[in-house]
Amino acid sequence: MKTTFISTSAISEATRVSLIKLQTQLATAQKEVSTGRYADMGVSLGYKTGQTVSLRQEQNRLTTITETNSVVATRLDSTQSALTSLVGDAQNFLGQLLGARDAPTGPQVVQKQAQTSLSAFADMLNTSIDGAYLFAGINADVKPISQYDQTPPSPAKQAVDNAFFATFGITQNDPAVANISASAMQNFLDTTFAGLFQDPAWTTNWSSASDQNIRSRISTSELIETSTNTNESAFRQLAQAYTMVADLGTQNLNQGAFQAVVDTATKIAAQGIQGLTELQSNLGTAQQRVEDANGRMSIQKDILTNHISSMEDVDPYEASTRVNTLMTQIETAYAMTARIQQLSLLNYL
Amino acid sequence: MTLTVGRDVAQTALSVAADRTSILSRNIANAQNPQSSRKIANVVSIPGSGVRIASVTRASNDSLLEKMLSATSDAAGQKAITEALQQLDQTTGDPALDVSPAALVQKLMDAIQQYAAGPQDASRASTAIAAAGDVATGLNEATTLVQQVRQQADADMSSSVDKLNTLLKQFDAVNTDIVNGTRIDADVTDQLDQRDQILSSISEEIGIRTVARPDGDMAIFTDSGVTLYDAGARTVTFNRTLIYGPGTTGNAVLVDGVPVTGSSGTMLAQSGRLAALANVRDNLTVTYQSQLDEIARGLIEAFAESDQSAIPTLPDAPGLFTYAGGPAMPASGTLIVGLAGSIRLNPTVDPQQGGNASLFRDGGIAGAAYTYNTTGATGYSDRLQQYIDNLTAQRPFDPAAGLVPSASVGSFASSSISWLQQTRQNASNDADYKNTLLERASDALSKVTGVNLDEEMTSMLDLERSYQASARLMSTIDTMMQSLLSITVAA
Repeated sequence: MKTTFISTSAISEATRVSLIKLQTQLATAQKEVSTGRYADMGVSLGYKTGQTVSLRQEQNRLTTITETNSVVATRLDSTQSALTSLVGDAQNFLGQLLGARDAPTGPQVVQKQAQTSLSAFADMLNTSIDGAYLFAGINADVKPISQYDQTPPSPAKQAVDNAFFATFGITQNDPAVANISASAMQNFLDTTFAGLFQDPAWTTNWSSASDQNIRSRISTSELIETSTNTNESAFRQLAQAYTMVADLGTQNLNQGAFQAVVDTATKIAAQGIQGLTELQSNLGTAQQRVEDANGRMSIQKDILTNHISSMEDVDPYEASTRVNTLMTQIETAYAMTARIQQLSLLNYL
Repeated sequence: MTLTVGRDVAQTALSVAADRTSILSRNIANAQNPQSSRKIANVVSIPGSGVRIASVTRASNDSLLEKMLSATSDAAGQKAITEALQQLDQTTGDPALDVSPAALVQKLMDAIQQYAAGPQDASRASTAIAAAGDVATGLNEATTLVQQVRQQADADMSSSVDKLNTLLKQFDAVNTDIVNGTRIDADVTDQLDQRDQILSSISEEIGIRTVARPDGDMAIFTDSGVTLYDAGARTVTFNRTLIYGPGTTGNAVLVDGVPVTGSSGTMLAQSGRLAALANVRDNLTVTYQSQLDEIARGLIEAFAESDQSAIPTLPDAPGLFTYAGGPAMPASGTLIVGLAGSIRLNPTVDPQQGGNASLFRDGGIAGAAYTYNTTGATGYSDRLQQYIDNLTAQRPFDPAAGLVPSASVGSFASSSISWLQQTRQNASNDADYKNTLLERASDALSKVTGVNLDEEMTSMLDLERSYQASARLMSTIDTMMQSLLSITVAA
């Protein structure tokens, strides 16, 4: 007959089991105190683990887009500054034209100016950043404009030479250009010469850029154009104005023909400047959108960071209190075990 | 009543005290043995001639034992499941580590976004391709791991079956001893302890019910009712499958020819390691594998190319990612078992396999007709933007994977993590609960059947007194005899 309902092994087993449990809990609590996060994320969060993974994905995505936006912003900034200096050059040139129209040394001065401007124009349009030409559209690795004056002669120069010779029967350097009448020159400028700056001549002889501009994803949902290209009419007009002054035998033209050239160049350059300003304002809108997107994404990232930490982080005070409590419990358990082991009837027999 | 009778009675008392002391020593010796129960000497008085030990029994409690056995089965089963899930957890890890398929897909998307910001840059192309390679490798490795877990479960089932057969043989030997001993009224208490011990080992492997017979005999059935032991051990058989692939189906465990695991039996074991391992091998891992397969299929779809000719004639074809069934596209919304194991980077686009990295940007991975960037412009990023759109677009997934029927690839991968971790959390909570139950059951059983040293000590004091009294009785009778004899001599 059993009279007692506690066995000796049950007593020692109970203290042993509770000690093991407490020590396991202590290890977990210690890890949580030192990392500030749950020791085993999956077991603690369960089905919510997928949610924190999604939040982290979203956060990474926003970080990456913010990074690529800085590339976009750099391109836009550089394009803007290139456009600004193109506008400055063109305005200078315009001023020179106005001054030279009636001055006796006008032709030499403006021709020189036009040649310099044309060369600077090509240089500016061939700016590249990070291996990509700014004004090439998506044809990023090809120089969008070749220099007009170079050896061997550029296709653009050849086309102008051929057109001039076909119309007047002489080359531009021939002193006989003085015989070209103002109306003949005006006619040439408005038809044959203007045609050299329209498609397909422009894209064959002048520009290697693609009509398609670079499009960039500046936020998770916005896909916008973030570049421009040399096929825009503003660039054609500037090239047209510079070229007609630089390379139509300006220095030898008679007064009437010269004035026809200057008047046409003035009109076209002014249109070009107008066009450049429009391009600048379009790109400015893109810059603004990038900036806005960055601002929004930075707020979103902060919110996501908060969400993630509210899901994954443990309350540090709670965790350290837990460690303290567990340590006290374990000490008590040790003391109890020692006392219980001493507790034996044998000591009193 | 004579003096000699009194002396004989005192002598029986002495011998009973000696026998009880020996049993008491056995109890004290086994005080720390949790498997041993307290032995009790049943003393009866013989009319007119003292006392004797009629039998030795033990403290036992059948209902507590039964509870302990079923708690053992549950705890052992839950432990096997928790361990398997712990291994599967390697495929996702802590969310901060970014090693899960979901995180790898996100990294690929980030790399594409970077590439789209500088499409002319070859180094961005190779970074993006490397990220794509990581996704494919990640899925391949996850598949290998899942199949290893299945193979491990199968191997564990095989050793569990071996152990079960050995235990049943041991049970047979002990049970026969008990039956024979009971017939001749011998002390079989140690054998009974041993039998309980074997029962508890058997219940770790498979859930059991026991039926006691009058002559000490016992029959064992599985918790589903299949006979494991009844007047002889039944054979448990299992054919191990050595190599596991995603499509492999493991064999069932047969007890006495009746399947106790698998999907088709009507008497499937409910608890114990065998049932848990079969669940891991046939359900958990299979579901998880199908989720990986669906992620892989979603990726192949998201990067698929369509014919870009003016009049498209060719069918869509796998682009960046291809698989064993290529170049045909996998059917939309339909699970292909093992796809995650065979998904790989298309060699045509992988520079390390002699491919051309810029096809990633331009399209045409599947053939020239599929080229999106017809002008060859190096700043072309439309196709890259399309990839991002495709990755974030909703697409159908097979409901067999046990997750949402429509989602983007990334969120499907996240919900797969949710599924795994939810299962793990449940298993871990269950394991804690089942372990506590087992502790309580063992504790209760030990309290009722175990030895209490203090109680034994107290009985020892009693025995000592009783021995002293009997001895004193004998010496008094001796003195009386002496007096009687001296009177006789004097007369």
